[in-house]
Amino acid sequence: MKLALEIKNLSKKYQDFELKNISFNLPQGMIMGLIGENGAGKTTTIKAILNLLTKYSGEIKIFGKLNKNEDETVKEDIGVVLDDMFFPEILNVKDINYIMKDIYKNWDENLYNKYLNDFKLPLNKQIKTFSKGMKKKLEIAVSLSHHPKLLILDEPTAGLDPIARSEVIDIFRDFIQNEECSILISSHITTDLEHIADYITFINNGEVVLSKTSDELLNNYGIVKCRKEEFNQIEEKDYVKMRKTKYEYELLVENKKVFKKKYPKILVEQVSLEDIMVLMIKGEVK
Amino acid sequence: MIGLIKKDLLLIKSNIKLLGTILVFYILLTFENEMNISFLPAFLSVWLMFSTFSYDEYNKWDSYAITLPNGRKNTVRAKYLTTIILILITTFISILVTFLILMIQNKAIPYNELITSVLISTLTITCIESFIYPFIFKFGIEKTRIILFGVLFVIGFIGGILIYQVNLNVPSLINFLAKYGRILFVILTIVILFLSYKISEKIYLKKEF
Amino acid sequence: MDIIISNKSGIPIYEQIKEQFKSKIITNELKEGELLPSIRSLAKDLRCSVITTKNAYEELEKEGFVVTIPSKGIYVSKINKNIAREEQLNKIEDLLEQAINLAKINNIDKEEIINILNILYEEDL
Repeated sequence: MKLALEIKNLSKKYQDFELKNISFNLPQGMIMGLIGENGAGKTTTIKAILNLLTKYSGEIKIFGKLNKNEDETVKEDIGVVLDDMFFPEILNVKDINYIMKDIYKNWDENLYNKYLNDFKLPLNKQIKTFSKGMKKKLEIAVSLSHHPKLLILDEPTAGLDPIARSEVIDIFRDFIQNEECSILISSHITTDLEHIADYITFINNGEVVLSKTSDELLNNYGIVKCRKEEFNQIEEKDYVKMRKTKYEYELLVENKKVFKKKYPKILVEQVSLEDIMVLMIKGEVK
Repeated sequence: MIGLIKKDLLLIKSNIKLLGTILVFYILLTFENEMNISFLPAFLSVWLMFSTFSYDEYNKWDSYAITLPNGRKNTVRAKYLTTIILILITTFISILVTFLILMIQNKAIPYNELITSVLISTLTITCIESFIYPFIFKFGIEKTRIILFGVLFVIGFIGGILIYQVNLNVPSLINFLAKYGRILFVILTIVILFLSYKISEKIYLKKEF
Repeated sequence: MDIIISNKSGIPIYEQIKEQFKSKIITNELKEGELLPSIRSLAKDLRCSVITTKNAYEELEKEGFVVTIPSKGIYVSKINKNIAREEQLNKIEDLLEQAINLAKINNIDKEEIINILNILYEEDL
């Protein structure tokens, strides 16, 4: 399988934060969701991929090519939506078209106008008059209008209401109808990713906690909610994380089928990405 | 890179009303005064360029621009080119205005004086911008404003003392330049501008966002 | 074509998709040689990930219900004719059994039922 994005041992040290040996692969034609708390290292990882950082250790390959600062041609095939980084807001939507025509070789004016139309964005108003959701939609429209092959999206659904979110997610689905196109999407709204991401990479405290297909996660992992008497019967090796609340014990189990066989009387529930994320962060090991 | 220049020109265009007002004001002033104030358009160009840096910084355009195919080098180059374009335009405007006014007032046109004063204001402004830009690329415009304030204060202070001490005759210096130094001054400015550009580029290539 | 997916049932989504396709093929709602939606467009329409629909189709192919023709698409395969027929026969047997049970309770003998069957069968033609 061809890889759209390959990250090997990416490390970056700041005074108060460290990214430690981040590694993951995004196969072509697939969507990878990058999940984790705010400040876990998602944005730093994305910055490294996009050459916003100049000093880091490790290796980043995009479309099989090493990502070096001098080589910018690869950016012709990448579309980005970044958190809080965009055009100066006194410009309007038409200005952006006028500028982008000379930035991307493949800038497609008609496609851009189609998105503006779909999103109902006004042409002549300054961006600063837009709501947060409108701004995000504009950023998404710009990121798609040069027919990129890889979308890198940092919190693209932040600030959108549920309806706009589902519209946007549908656009991403349309985008990967082409098998050459891939998406890396970071979000802390895990429900958005559950229904679209093929792979999930979970970053916590600057480290990759897990990187798997979302089917593997959602079909195998399970969540057990039980009382103390039941909890005492469960061996430590049979769960990954445990969280004790006032009334119950919550356990994250790696393979719910195996668990069910061993403890047929204890109820195992369907897990969500959010459950996994919360228990991985808040849960105790043993 | 053309896209980046277009972006800066569009930002400048958004100030067009204010610009028009200042221009009218400037023409009126020139009418009233015998004094040559051709430095005003040149200063305006600095102010306009600074405003583009401010707009960029406010919306973190710089980070976004790096994710586009133009690359860091072109980002720096575009700013310098826009600056040069703007200086040329303002120089042209100030010459034009002076000419027009002199013609309306039916006065003889003192070419030599005119060229010297325009050259001095234009080249001085270019040198000032050359000095400031590396700071902007390193620290961003907001921090640079603060640094600049300090630096100008120190330069003014030391310069004042020097002029007083050495008893430097400023008009005679201008005279000297008018006689011998035009080309020298032009070459010197270009060298300074080029050095500034190279320094900014080096800074920007290493910058982290 | 209806395919209904539940995220809360605890049954893996690819399995839900697989089972529903199977039943549609057996009941002949999907006919032999019919072109099925591509992995990607199915994922889009069902709002699930591409890997999920890929898994579902792979399982269906393993069990012989569909066949992938490279660079053409995924089709309902041939073998299923027999499976479908078997399935239908089972259904008929069930229905006949009901009829026979009813006949036995009411003391109606075999000949009479066969007679009715003959008449009904001819009528239908």
